[in-house]
Amino acid sequence: MLRVRQEQETTDGSQAFYNCELMSENNEKKVHGIVAEYTSVDTLLAACRRVRDAGYEKTDAFTPFPVHGIDKALGIKPTVLPWIVLGAGLTGTATALVMQIWMNAIDYQYIISGKPFLSLPAFMPVAFELTVLFASFGAFFGMWALNGLPRFSNPVFTDPRFDRVTDDRFFLYIDSKDGQFDRGGVEKLLGDTETDYVQTVVDDDSSDKVPKPFFVIWGLVASLSVVPLLIVLKMRVSHSSQPRFHVFYDMDFSPAKDAQQYSTLFRDGRAMRPDVPGTVARGEMQADLDFMTGIDMNALSVIDRPRADRLVRSFNPLYQTEAQSAQESKPDDATQAEKPNVGGDPVGGDPAGDKSGTEADKSDSDQPGAEPTAKPSVMDTTPWLRVNPLVLDEKVLANGRKNFGIYCSVCHGMNGSGNGLVNVRAQKILAAEWIPPSSLHQDTLYADKYPDGKLFSTISNGIRKMPGYSGQIKTRDRWEIVAYVRALQLSQNASIDQISESQRESILKEQAEAQKALKEKADAEAKAAQDKAAKAAKDPA
Amino acid sequence: MSLAIPNGLDNTVEQPGERAPLVLGDTTYHDITEAVCQVAERKPSTSWVIGFLISFALLQWLGICILYLIYTGVGVWGNRSPVFWGWPIVNFVFWVGIGHAGTLISAILFLFRQEWRTSINRAAEAMTIFAVVCAGTFPGIHVGRAWLAFWLAPYPSLNLWMWPQFRSPLLWDVFAVSTYGTVSLLFWYMGMVPDLATFRDRSTNKWRRMAYGVLSLGWSGSSRHWMRYEKAYALLAAFAAPLVLSVHTIVSFDFAVSQVPGWHTTIFPPYFVAGAIFSGFAMVLTLMIPARKMLGLENLITIRHLDNMCKIILATGSIVGLAYGTEFFIAWYGQVQEEKFAFTNRAFGPYWWAYWTMVTCNVVSPQLFWFKKLRTTPWMIVLVCIFVNIGMWFERFVIVVTSLSRDYLPSAWAYFSPTWVDWSMLIGSFGLFFTLFLLFCRLMPVINMAETKATLAKQYHVSNHGDH
Repeated sequence: MLRVRQEQETTDGSQAFYNCELMSENNEKKVHGIVAEYTSVDTLLAACRRVRDAGYEKTDAFTPFPVHGIDKALGIKPTVLPWIVLGAGLTGTATALVMQIWMNAIDYQYIISGKPFLSLPAFMPVAFELTVLFASFGAFFGMWALNGLPRFSNPVFTDPRFDRVTDDRFFLYIDSKDGQFDRGGVEKLLGDTETDYVQTVVDDDSSDKVPKPFFVIWGLVASLSVVPLLIVLKMRVSHSSQPRFHVFYDMDFSPAKDAQQYSTLFRDGRAMRPDVPGTVARGEMQADLDFMTGIDMNALSVIDRPRADRLVRSFNPLYQTEAQSAQESKPDDATQAEKPNVGGDPVGGDPAGDKSGTEADKSDSDQPGAEPTAKPSVMDTTPWLRVNPLVLDEKVLANGRKNFGIYCSVCHGMNGSGNGLVNVRAQKILAAEWIPPSSLHQDTLYADKYPDGKLFSTISNGIRKMPGYSGQIKTRDRWEIVAYVRALQLSQNASIDQISESQRESILKEQAEAQKALKEKADAEAKAAQDKAAKAAKDPA
Repeated sequence: MSLAIPNGLDNTVEQPGERAPLVLGDTTYHDITEAVCQVAERKPSTSWVIGFLISFALLQWLGICILYLIYTGVGVWGNRSPVFWGWPIVNFVFWVGIGHAGTLISAILFLFRQEWRTSINRAAEAMTIFAVVCAGTFPGIHVGRAWLAFWLAPYPSLNLWMWPQFRSPLLWDVFAVSTYGTVSLLFWYMGMVPDLATFRDRSTNKWRRMAYGVLSLGWSGSSRHWMRYEKAYALLAAFAAPLVLSVHTIVSFDFAVSQVPGWHTTIFPPYFVAGAIFSGFAMVLTLMIPARKMLGLENLITIRHLDNMCKIILATGSIVGLAYGTEFFIAWYGQVQEEKFAFTNRAFGPYWWAYWTMVTCNVVSPQLFWFKKLRTTPWMIVLVCIFVNIGMWFERFVIVVTSLSRDYLPSAWAYFSPTWVDWSMLIGSFGLFFTLFLLFCRLMPVINMAETKATLAKQYHVSNHGDH
């Protein structure tokens, strides 16, 4: 202890501190209290205890750092600050939750990532952040408010020596408002402690006028800061015939065009551009027409040259044939030629074939009793490819099965019996007008009567209520579906002769077992039904 | 007695039954005041002026780049499909990470009564705030229409007729970072008020006295004030500690809540927090070691402080290394094809150079701190810390860019290249950071004088009572 005091005193001496003469004899001024200076924590604490024990209550100590134990030495009560902070924190939590629930679950609902509108787990992070924010505001502003700060004028500051309170000196202060304050007694009490300096704290006599430039600057800043607010306010309540001002016009109104919009950039006025002549988009290479249409094109060009030409043209609008050049004088064919390949519908450019195809099929399968038309349908005369052009292997069938499952099974059912989910549902709600999808297991649809090419064309272009799938399923995938449909048909109607001999025996055995199991099951059910009936007959009696 | 010369006492050695002193030399309270105040009161040194001019020039360059960006559009960056986050978000996460050590040192070490924090916490807190300023700049300009960034706030608007989306981590991030910035600012300012009062009481110039008088709010050092002040400070520390952890957790949610391979992992929150503390401490050391030399504060920021911080860097660096390993393990163990690919691609794909730079800097270099010689040699610490900072920037680059450039749509895969604007903004953000930091060194108390004096008072107390 001694070492510290000596050191501090030498520091004092070398610095020749303040001239205290100014502070003498201030009797005329109002006395606020009396202050004594100490050079160490221990002397201060000892003095505090003495003052407390003498019964003074309106006391305070001023120190350059928080001194531990001084609250006891002075008798300072604990602060209510933690309660303020608790209140502020809870307000923060409530604000965050109410704000989020109101904004996202009540006032402005929309579905995002499958989360519920009122998604408490998603609201937690912001609730936590606002709790901390409000509690921190409570601690920060609450502390200053309780301390009565900011307060820029304080009588204790009048003594220049008091400047060292933020450096290395400790002060003990007894306020004149204390009940037992008596100037002489207090001075004696403090003088008895380990202090070299006891001083009366009087009113601050320095000028309380704020310098003029201060007001000028403050006034200027204050009046300027209202200007933007006034402008916004004026804009809000007034009307203007001028269009809004856009700082970055192209960011508010994107010059990019949407589908089907008009554009002045091109002579035809369309924003959507057709393919550049002579180019083929990736994945749309349409070289092998037999493969694309399911028709033997060589045979077709012998039977019906104009139709073959139209088909070719529908895949390649630039294709010129003798027949077409001859027909160019006819107006409807001319429009036909200019028409681009819309939607990639191969027989779309062949309305006659399409129409007759529909008619032909009506007679073909669903309405066997209908009168046969006089002229044989185009569908019947078309030289369809009889064999699937793909090399069939397990992979092809697996792919076919996958795509059948995706596109076909919803109506035709997984096994092709025509009872898919759409049919099941439609039977319930539109039973009267619903035409059920065809079962694929009919004689008329087997390969001998309905060649692979025709099946392919039906998948591509649709039939009756079934739409064409050429836009959704790639050409190769459609052929794979054809292969899979054939396999499906075989699965339901194969005779035992079609199976290799090595497998026949096991299959027959399996079949026998399955039949036996079925029979047993049927017997058991019949017996159960009988028992139940007997029981029902017995019970009322 | 000069504070600039340490008295040769080695305070990194623990003596049983005796606390190693945290303030060296035969220091008195007044010496502490003198040492800290002279930094702000004397004429600026040449090195300060040169450093400030360079930083300020870089800051101007950043400003020009931001104007150019706003005027032209975000196309001036290298952000292209599929890497739309690019450098701005890398820089954002990097700076937010840096900003974590300040509040961590202040709050968590305060709660654990680690008194060695007192001489470094002020500068570290200042660093936090300046890093958050840098961090906040990047998402602000990354939104594309920077003049509409206020749409992020939930304010009742007659033009929008809608509210922000509180179920998105991006909005949580807005709240987390702004709360963090605000609370850090309050914490920093509140801690500084008693020291600003010291500046006020020492100032000889009328205007200076008035300015510091206003800033110190009429602080008188009253014991009743001190008591409430300490209570408020402890409360703020108690809030700030979980806040530090929450902020980088929420930043990591920006990634982890999405579906992108390499981002969608539960390890992100602890991994990001450890990385943030790691990079933050490295940045504190990078700044403090030259500063303590230039400002003559070797007796207050002692070798023991550096030694302790190096140990934290070693610990968090090892956690980060473990996290890198765990990510790979889970990618393999989870057997999700995309995840496996994402991690193989990180280490051996087109960005292998970034990945291995990151591993070398973050995992290998901090291991040098196992050697006490390295932990107590300032220039070596600085060297390792610069490596750590580089490594942590690359960590964010690796996370953001490798995952986005190789996501679920292989046809969109592309290689990210930054433009000159990306480079300028990264360098410019350092200009912003150092400009603020150098101004702080000149105008504000760089060391918490009041707390350091309290630490010294305890040392006296112990040595006095140890005599009998």
